[in-house]
Amino acid sequence: MTEATGVDELVTETADRLFTQICDHESVQNAEAAGAAPEIWSAFAETGFPWISIDEDRGGSGGTLLDALEVLRLVGYHAAPIPAAETGVLGGWLLASSGHEIPAGPVTVLPNGNNITASVSGDQMTLAGTCTRVPWARIAERIAVLVEVDGQSMVASVNPKDCVIQPMTNMAGEPRDTVCFDGAIAPASPCVAGVNPESFRFRGALSRAALMAGAIEKMSQLTVTYTNDRIQFGRPVARFQAVQQHLVWGAQEAALARMAAETAGREANRGPAFFEIAAAKLITNQAAARATKACHQAHGAMGMTQEYPLHHYSRRLWSWRKEYGGDAEWSKWLGNAAVSQGAEGLYALVTGGSSVLS
Amino acid sequence: MRFTPTELTEEELSLQQQVRDFLQEELPPGSHEPCLGMAANKDKAFSLKMAERGWVGMALPKEWGGSDRTAVDRFIVVEEMLRWGAPVGHHWVADRQTGNVILKFGTEEQRERFLPAICRGELGFSIGMSEPDSGSDLASVSTKAEQTTDGWIINGTKIWTSGAHENDWFVCLLRTSPMEDGNKHAGLSQLLIDLKSPGLEISPIPFLDGSHHFNEVTFNEVFVPDINVVGDLGMGWHQNTTEMAYERGGPDRWLSPFSTVEQLLREAKGTELEETVSDLFGELVARWWGIRNLSLSVARLIDTGEAPSIESSLVKEMGTRYEQEVVEKLVHLIDIEYSPDSDSLFERLLAQCVVTFPGNTIRGGTIEILRSVASKGLKGLPA
Ligand SMILES: Cc1cc2nc3c(=O)[nH]c(=O)nc-3n(C[C@H](O)[C@H](O)[C@H](O)COP(=O)(O)OP(=O)(O)OC[C@H]3O[C@@H](n4cnc5c(N)ncnc54)[C@H](O)[C@@H]3O)c2cc1C
Repeated sequence: MTEATGVDELVTETADRLFTQICDHESVQNAEAAGAAPEIWSAFAETGFPWISIDEDRGGSGGTLLDALEVLRLVGYHAAPIPAAETGVLGGWLLASSGHEIPAGPVTVLPNGNNITASVSGDQMTLAGTCTRVPWARIAERIAVLVEVDGQSMVASVNPKDCVIQPMTNMAGEPRDTVCFDGAIAPASPCVAGVNPESFRFRGALSRAALMAGAIEKMSQLTVTYTNDRIQFGRPVARFQAVQQHLVWGAQEAALARMAAETAGREANRGPAFFEIAAAKLITNQAAARATKACHQAHGAMGMTQEYPLHHYSRRLWSWRKEYGGDAEWSKWLGNAAVSQGAEGLYALVTGGSSVLS
Repeated sequence: MRFTPTELTEEELSLQQQVRDFLQEELPPGSHEPCLGMAANKDKAFSLKMAERGWVGMALPKEWGGSDRTAVDRFIVVEEMLRWGAPVGHHWVADRQTGNVILKFGTEEQRERFLPAICRGELGFSIGMSEPDSGSDLASVSTKAEQTTDGWIINGTKIWTSGAHENDWFVCLLRTSPMEDGNKHAGLSQLLIDLKSPGLEISPIPFLDGSHHFNEVTFNEVFVPDINVVGDLGMGWHQNTTEMAYERGGPDRWLSPFSTVEQLLREAKGTELEETVSDLFGELVARWWGIRNLSLSVARLIDTGEAPSIESSLVKEMGTRYEQEVVEKLVHLIDIEYSPDSDSLFERLLAQCVVTFPGNTIRGGTIEILRSVASKGLKGLPA
């Protein structure tokens, strides 16, 4: 474990090695065409990585939330086409927090589940409504549906076979399916305290911040490498100051995004970290915008092709930026927090974060 | 390049609280016109008070009057002072860089002569780098120091010298042997020069708003004794580069508009404006939180004995641009004709930001030069 970040170094090394082997440009491309990547998923599942941060006695792999977020950062860094966040820190978390069994296969969740209605009788829940943008629903073994029933947060562990699934995608070609629940019946149970639609939204945002930090860093590195290889006017284009500006701006955004995601992860691993997560998602959203612009520009036409891998990262970033809250949602949340501190408390919020809000 | 997240320890948090209590006591909000970052007013009495608490030259060794504190401790003090808009101008340069230069390269005699006085908050220093024909291309400086029996005779001109008219000393980068072909970095040395020396003339260069901030300093046969040469003759370029690394990446590069933003919130509270500015405040606190964490991690890295020059250049380049972006966002959102003599403190501060902040991405090395420095350190690194 490195003292500074609290992340198990072995997690970083092993996950990085694994993804380097199984997520090359071609396999990520193939996954997009096929709408799934069963081999990548099974290699990933074999290591137990999807279930890090879920207690072993609940069917998880143990480890901390920090370790799980480090895996997500590497999922982003390698554009791994798998429902890693959904199966672990989101869906796995929901199932484990409500006493459900963790299935052997992928799990997904409803990022926009507010319009689902539920009626409960005994330990069964009957669901109605349609939910859009559900990641990887088509390959999920369970959908962990979080709903509030009479003020109590409950999770139903739904078998996707009981739903109608319409395949849809995001801008990166990752599955974001439409799921129609009408009439689906599933076992349901109440969540432990602290697990509710609000905390789920924040956790979703945290998962995206980690993925995005990884993808931005990879983009920045690809851009440095490409511009040092590409020769124009008799020298590497990276020697031109106008290009160096793009390199520096890309690297800054990568550093800022990773710092934000890791700091938010550190705080979330300790307790409520609403401020840090909101700030991290807003920062990674905006960093994604600036970094994709700089990195694409420095690549010239090559970055606009399917043949060159930049798009695996840029298209994911454009999609993830909008998942679990775009810029407006988080600016608003943070703005309310800031304004409610008043002028005297404003800087204390910048330095103290969630600790001054609670 | 890696910015590792770090956080303040219990002791560091308690220092932060002490500084906040001190400021609340000395400069309660409403009692002073906040300064905009490091372009702060010079208030020697305030510097002396800070020094009494051990907060000037605090990272210097106890032996020389300092407090043996860390770069992170200094970060905390500087951060609180700047966000408060405190008048730290008198000791600013000595605290940030000159003290370090004298400690690192100076003689025993120079350390004894200058460091305790710096740590007491007494001595104000200027920076003598730029010349009329040498800005970004600093190594081309041509102000000459010629050896005499027991010292040096200086002729030439330094320019843009902030605070020369109020400070006591400056460290000058001078040519002590003629420029050799192809190696302009050789033959440069750093000399400590008394700003009251005979033959040294200080003429104001009015700032664009008419204020007196920087100066032209001309040397006409100015004598400087041998004992004022800092470090080894001919090593000036190396020393100067080291000195500039202290200038970069700290809170002075991203906090300058904070007191303006804080004042906006104070004035908007309870008015219609409060809703208008709310989302903007969300964005601002997020970005300040993020950049602060990067900057703090640079300070932590310095305390492990590293010289994170690439990291600090990246933070400075980003931070100074961010300062300007903040001002642009305020101007964009708040549709008033703000004026420098308005009754509203926020308007006065904003007007000052608009007029003076173009300099933030120029002073201490332009962002264009910083990008060249930083990009050389970027490599396609592993995850
Ligand atoms: C408020 C303020 C206070 C200052 N205080 C001091 C002080 O106390 N002491 C002191 O010594 N100096 C001081 N300076 C001077 C400062 O260090 C210089 O302004 C700075 O180094 C740039 O030099 P220059 O102004 O001559 O610009 P120039 O070097 O003439 O540059 C003009 C433009 O060309 C660009 N440029 C130049 N060379 C290159 C290149 N190789 N590649 C790309 N772009 C390039 C620059 O980035 C800039 O945009 C101060 C400046 C300001 C604004």
